[in-house]
Amino acid sequence: MRNLSSLKQEFLRKWIKGLRKYNSQKKNMNLLERKKAIKLSADLAMASTRNKATLWRKALVAKTSIDESNKNDISTSSQPKKIRKKLTNSSPLCRKRRRIRTVYKAKERVEASFIAKKMVQKRTRKLKSLLPGGKSMDEACLVDETLDYIESLRAQVEVMRCLVTASELFINPSPP
Amino acid sequence: MEQSTLESIQFNEEILGIMAPAPETANSFTALLELPPTQVVELLHSSEHTGKLPLHVSNPKPYPLTSVICGGTSNLTFPSNAALVERAARFSVFAGENPPQTEVKDEQQETDSNPSLTQGGGDCVSDPTVENKNSKGAKRKQLEKKVKVSSKKSKSIADENSGNGEELPYVHVRVRRGQATDSHSLAERARREKINARMKLLQELVPGCNKISGTALVLDKIINHVQSLQHEVEILSMKLAAVNPIIDFNLDSILATEGVSLMDSNFPTTVTPVMWPEISHNGNRPQFQQPWQSDGFHQPLWGREENNPNFMTPENSLLSYDSPANSVSLHSNQLKMEL
Repeated sequence: MRNLSSLKQEFLRKWIKGLRKYNSQKKNMNLLERKKAIKLSADLAMASTRNKATLWRKALVAKTSIDESNKNDISTSSQPKKIRKKLTNSSPLCRKRRRIRTVYKAKERVEASFIAKKMVQKRTRKLKSLLPGGKSMDEACLVDETLDYIESLRAQVEVMRCLVTASELFINPSPP
Repeated sequence: MEQSTLESIQFNEEILGIMAPAPETANSFTALLELPPTQVVELLHSSEHTGKLPLHVSNPKPYPLTSVICGGTSNLTFPSNAALVERAARFSVFAGENPPQTEVKDEQQETDSNPSLTQGGGDCVSDPTVENKNSKGAKRKQLEKKVKVSSKKSKSIADENSGNGEELPYVHVRVRRGQATDSHSLAERARREKINARMKLLQELVPGCNKISGTALVLDKIINHVQSLQHEVEILSMKLAAVNPIIDFNLDSILATEGVSLMDSNFPTTVTPVMWPEISHNGNRPQFQQPWQSDGFHQPLWGREENNPNFMTPENSLLSYDSPANSVSLHSNQLKMEL
C-alpha cells in the first residue's frame, strides 16, 4: 500500500497548506463556513495530487474555485452566479426540450437484454452525476475516472479520519 | 479432380504470395510454427491434400479438432475460397493427425503440430495471413453459422478468423463463432472489451463486488461506495470544523515540513467510531492551545507504544505514551506522528 500512503502524505501536506490559509479568518467563521472551508481545501488538495490530468480533477478545481469565490465574496456576486447558472441543466427550456424528446420514445420492449441495457444506462447516468465533471464523459472514460476518483476519495477519507481522531484525542485526552 | 488441382495451384500461388509479407511481422504464421517459410509452404502443400479430404468427405474421424471443421464444412462443396482452404489446412496441421497420405511431411507435421497445438490455439488471433482475407467475411459467416455443435470448443480455434483489418499495428480481438467480422462491430467489440476490463478492475477495488455478476448490480455497488465516501468526507469535514477552533493549525507547519513518515504505519481502516467532541469543553480548556508546544505537558498525556516501531519523526523523543488501551494508543500514535 505504499502507493496509497504516499498519496495520503501528499494529500495531507497540500491540505494543511490550504487550511492554514483559513487560519486567520477562523475566528470570524461560524461552523458551517468552517466546514465549507475545510471541505474546499480538502477537495483542492485531493484534486492536485498525483499530477494526473483526469477530468474529475479539473472539474473539481473549477467547482471549488467557484465555491471559494462565492464564499469569500472576492468577486462580485453576479459573476459566480452566472457561471453557476451555465453549469446547471435545469432551466425551463432544457426541461421542455427534454420532455419533447421523451414523447418520441420507441415502443417499449420487454426482452431481457433490453431491460438489462436500460438498467445499466440508468446507473451510468447516476454515476456520471456523482462524479465531478462526469456529465461530459463517455463510458470508457467514466470507468477510468471512477477508478481514480475512488482511490483519491479513500485516501482523503482516511486522512481526514485520522486528523479528526487525533484532534479529538487532543481535546479529550484519555484518563491516565 | 481437375477443379481441385486447379484450385490447388491457385491456393499455392496465394500461399506463396502471402508467405512473402508474412515473415515480416513477428506474429506471422511461420513464426508460430518456428519454421522457415519454405518448409511451411511444403507443410501446407501436404496438408492441403489432407485438408481437402475432410472437406470433401464427412469422415467420422475421431480427430477432435478437424472434426469440427468436418462438421462445419462437410455439407459444402469445396470452397474456391483460398482462405478457407488455408484455414482448414492449418487446422489439420494443428491436429497433427493427418492420414498417412503424404509420406515425408508427416513427421514434420507431427513434431511441429504438438507444440503448435497449444500455441496455435492461443495465438491464432495474430495471424496476418488471414487478416488479409477479411473481405471474404460474408461467406465465412455463412459457413460459421452452420456449425452448431462444438462451437464452444472451436471458439479459440476460430479466433484466428478474426483479425482486425489490414491496419498495422494489429488490434487483437477475439471473435466468437457466428459473430460478424466487419470492422465496425470489431471496433465496437474491442471497445466493449476495454470497458469490461476496466470494470473488472473497479470490481476488485470496491469491496464486495467480486462475487456479483452483472454490470448493473456492480454499478449499483460502485455508486453506493462513491456516495458513502462522499458523505464521509462531508461528515468528517463537519467534525473537523467543530474541533477546529481549539486546535491551532499552526502546528501543522511542523507536519508539513516533516511529514515524511506520516503515513508509514498502517492506519487502521476500522477506526473506532469517533464521538462528537464535547463542545462545552472548549471554554473550559483554553490552555490547550499554548502548552501544545511544551514538552512537559505531553509527558503525562501520551504513552509510547512499542508496536509501531517504524516512526521516524524527530519528535518521537519529545513524547512518551502512557495509555494502555489499544485504540487510544493507536490514536495517540497517530497524533504523535502528526507532531
